[in-house]
Amino acid sequence: MILTLFKKTLKQNWKLLMIFFAVLIMYMSIMISMYDPEDMASILAMLELFPRELLSAMGFSNTITDFTSYLAGWLYGLLMSGFPLVYCIILGNRLVAKMVDDKSFGFLLSTPNSRVKIVITQGLYSLFSIFVLFAVLFGSGVAMASAIYPGLLDVGAFLKLNLITMLLNMFVMMICFFFSCLFNESKQALGLASAITVVSLLMNMLGNTSPDLNVLKKLSYYGLYDPVEIAMGAEIWQFIILFSLLAVVLFVFGVLIFNKKRLPI
Amino acid sequence: MIEVKNMTLTYASGKGIFEVDFSIKAGEVTGYLGPNGSGKTTTIRGILGFMKPNEGSCTIDGLDSIRDACEIQKKLGYISGEIAFFDDMDGDEFLQFMQKMRKEKDNTRQKELLKLFELDPKGKIKRFSKGMKQKLGIVSAFMHDPDIYVLDEPTSGLDPLMQNRFIELILKEKARGKTILMSSHVFEEVEKTCDNVIIIKDGRIVQKSDIQTLKNSQRKGFLIKPINLDDASKILRASGFEISVKAGGIIQVFVTGENIDRFIKTSAKFEIDNFDVIKQSLEDIFMQYYGKQEEIS
Repeated sequence: MILTLFKKTLKQNWKLLMIFFAVLIMYMSIMISMYDPEDMASILAMLELFPRELLSAMGFSNTITDFTSYLAGWLYGLLMSGFPLVYCIILGNRLVAKMVDDKSFGFLLSTPNSRVKIVITQGLYSLFSIFVLFAVLFGSGVAMASAIYPGLLDVGAFLKLNLITMLLNMFVMMICFFFSCLFNESKQALGLASAITVVSLLMNMLGNTSPDLNVLKKLSYYGLYDPVEIAMGAEIWQFIILFSLLAVVLFVFGVLIFNKKRLPI
Repeated sequence: MIEVKNMTLTYASGKGIFEVDFSIKAGEVTGYLGPNGSGKTTTIRGILGFMKPNEGSCTIDGLDSIRDACEIQKKLGYISGEIAFFDDMDGDEFLQFMQKMRKEKDNTRQKELLKLFELDPKGKIKRFSKGMKQKLGIVSAFMHDPDIYVLDEPTSGLDPLMQNRFIELILKEKARGKTILMSSHVFEEVEKTCDNVIIIKDGRIVQKSDIQTLKNSQRKGFLIKPINLDDASKILRASGFEISVKAGGIIQVFVTGENIDRFIKTSAKFEIDNFDVIKQSLEDIFMQYYGKQEEIS
C-alpha cells in the first residue's frame, strides 16, 4: 500500500463514486418516500399497471408489507447491484488496464515502488470505495427512514442487507479488477469484465420472471441469496464467507499475474 | 553499469529483439539507434524490467532488471518514447506526485530543470503542447539526480533551442560521471553527446562502434539549383555521381567523404543559381551503414 498513490487514485476517481452515490441516494429517497405504511394496497395497485414479469425481474415482490423488506425488494433487489456494477466496470478498468493501455503506468514503475505494491494499492482503493459507498448509503438510509418513519426500519436487518450487498459488489469489483490486471488493453479488460458481470445480472433478472427460468437465477452469483429473506431475518454468514473468499482469490490472482506479465509500456 | 546479456525478447507476432548483447561502462554515454520498429523500445522494456525476456538478462549496476526492478529505480532516470501522463492532472501536481513516490524531499534540482527548459508546469497537462509534455517528462526523469539514465527519444517534440539545452544538460551529466543510454533520431544530439553508438536493425544489433567511426562513414548531401538543369545533370552523371532531380529544378546529390573535392570541382563546370547542404538525419547515415554491411556479407 502506497499512501501517495492511494491519494492520487482517490483524487482522480472520487467524482465517479459521487455520481453513482448520487444516483443511488436519489433512488433510495424516492423509494423511502413512496412507502406508505398505512396503505400498501395503493402501491400494489399502482404496480398492477406494470407487467408482472418486469416487476419480478426488477426484484419487486408484491407480498411485501413491512418497511425493511420493502426496501430489500425494491432497492436491494436490482438497483443496489445494477448501478454499482457499472461503477465496478468503469473503475476496474481505470485502476490498471487503462494506465497500461495508455502507457502512463510507466511513470508509476519509474519510481522505486514494486509492481505488487502499486497494484495492491489500486485494488485496495477499489474495495475502499465500495465500502464507503455502502457505509454512507446505510447511514443515509437509517437517517432518512428514522426521520420519515421513526421506528419502522429494522436497523439490524438493514445492516445485514447492506453488508451482504457490499460484499457482493466487492466480489464484482474484484472480477473487474482481475481482468484489468490480466489484460494490457482496456478494450479486452472492459469487454470480458462486463460480459461476465452483465450476463450474470441478466440471468438473475430473467430467473426472477418465471419458475421455468429459475435455474438461470441459481447459476448467477446475483441469485445466490434473496434480499427480502435477509430483511426478514435469514442467515448471511455463508454468503459473507463465499463472497469474501472469492474476492480475495481474484485479488491475489490479479496481483500475481500482473507482477509476472509483460507490460508494453 | 548496464549489461544486456544475450537478450531475446519476442512478441506473439514473431517480432522482437534477438540475442542483443552489449554493455555500457560507468560514465559512458551510448546512443542507441535504429529505424522505427527495429527494437529500440523493446530493448529498453527489457532493460527496465517491464518485459521479461525469453532468453538472456540485463543487469544495471549489478542488479537484475526483473528481480530488482524496484531497487534499480532508486538510481535510474527514465524517459519513455511515448510519454503519456495520468488523466486530469496538473503539471506541478504531477512533479510533486513523482517526487513523493520516490520519497524525495529536496526540489532545488526540479526548480533548476524547470528554469533550464523554461517550463511553467501550472495547468492541466492535457492542455500542454507536445513540447511542454516532453519537457515535463525530462524534468521528471532528471529531478531526483539519478546515476543512470535510460532515455527513449528524449528530445522528440522539442524545438531546436530546447534540443540544445537538452544537449547541454546531457553533457553536464556526463561530466558528473553519469551513465547514459539514449535512443535518438537527431544526429546532432548523438554526435555532440555520445561516446559510443549501437545500431539495431530488425531486432538484431548490426553495429557497435565509437562515434568517430560512424562519423567518417557519413555522406554529405547537397542541393544544387543550376541555371541549366539538363547540362548540369549530364555533367554530374558523366562524373559518376548519383543524382536525383527534385521539384523546382533542384538536383540532390549524396557524396562520400573522399569524393567531396572531386564533386566540388565537377560542379564548378556549370553555372549555379543556388546551393545548399543537406543536414543529414542520423537515419540516413545508418541506412547507408546497413548498405555497407550487406555488401560485405
